[in-house]
Amino acid sequence: MCGLCGLLGEDIHWSDPLGDELPRRRERLRRIAAINKVLAPFRLKVEDFQGVSYLLLGATGKQELATGLDQLWQRAELLIGRALDPLDSNLLDQLERQA
Amino acid sequence: MSIALNVMTGFLGSGKTTLLKRLLKDEHMGDTALLINEFGDVGIDHLLVEEVAPDTVLLPSGCVCCSIRGELRDALAGLLERRARGEIPAFRRVILETTGLADPAPILATLINDPHLRGRFHIGLVVTLVDATHWALQERLHPEWMAQVAAADRLLISKTDVVGLEHQRALRGRLEAINPAPILDSAEIHSGDQLLLGEGLRSVEPVREVTRWQLHRVQSTAARHGDAQVCCLTFERPLEWVVFGVWLSMLLRCHGERILRVKGLLNVNNSQAPVVIHGVQHCLHPPVHLTAWPGEDHTSRLVFILRGLDAKQLRRSFEVFSRCLAPVTDGVAA
Repeated sequence: MCGLCGLLGEDIHWSDPLGDELPRRRERLRRIAAINKVLAPFRLKVEDFQGVSYLLLGATGKQELATGLDQLWQRAELLIGRALDPLDSNLLDQLERQA
Repeated sequence: MSIALNVMTGFLGSGKTTLLKRLLKDEHMGDTALLINEFGDVGIDHLLVEEVAPDTVLLPSGCVCCSIRGELRDALAGLLERRARGEIPAFRRVILETTGLADPAPILATLINDPHLRGRFHIGLVVTLVDATHWALQERLHPEWMAQVAAADRLLISKTDVVGLEHQRALRGRLEAINPAPILDSAEIHSGDQLLLGEGLRSVEPVREVTRWQLHRVQSTAARHGDAQVCCLTFERPLEWVVFGVWLSMLLRCHGERILRVKGLLNVNNSQAPVVIHGVQHCLHPPVHLTAWPGEDHTSRLVFILRGLDAKQLRRSFEVFSRCLAPVTDGVAA
């Protein structure tokens, strides 16, 4: 548990914060901000849910709850109805335009 | 203390059982539990090694790839229980001999994802035997051959006594092009020490294992149709760990089965201590912190062994994600 935030935390994942420089909640918000940039072209949004899960929100009101990054990508694919491919040229072009 | 699970793999008939029988005679291997996975109804391999290792546990049926989650989990948990009851002596490492057709990735996935096993076992080394007589045919016909070679931390060539030097050189060249792991002659291995079983990323000196990877010497290779290729990414700027985690988790989720291996030595958030990552297909091991860089060069290096993925697109994706997802100020801004 994080002493500063009182969070129990997600299930263990290799991508968890490496050090203790920032409180876990701050690290989690940084991760969610990065995920939201990736999902924006698909009109999906992610919010923190109780510091342990992710709440995925679709443009039509559909919602999915996910625990951990692996499940997050899986649920996001369910919502958009196709694979979320980081090598997809269209996605990379849109990320560059967003930036 | 977490126990190392070493995986011995290699294609059918590559000499895994022969090597195991030799290794188990080594007095320093006495604290080793052996798990054997057999394909078929009669576990012949189990009978072959029983003379030297009476506490062998045979995973009852099927291929490790297919039945891994239940059977391997139960076998490992059973070993711990039997040890706690005093039915078997204490052991500090486990060797799992897979069937010749097994893909090593599900074994790693079982250990990484099972909350009961995760704190008690860790993956030690993946040792792959390569049959010097039939490797070319096996590579051409069976995708498992490449998965086993790419996953290896130690590559052992067997049956070198029945092929000529020219043939051996060709095989070594092929293995070096796929995976920069140490290559040894199986016939010369008589002890766990020769196999460096006590070393690895989870040992007390992980830097020795990372040095053995020789990441600075790895070169990207061109793709040939249907073949594996090496893609090496280097970057001078410190890496933003949050962004890297988002990118790699998304990549492994989408293309895990085409990323046979990933290894990296990373300069994360401008830390003085590098972070080491490595994984097989969808499964990434927990990152390891080194106390210092192995040399003067602090360039981050990521090496992928790919099959059927466009290396140029992988490089572009990494660059775009790094550039476009980096936090603007303190990173909280959405």
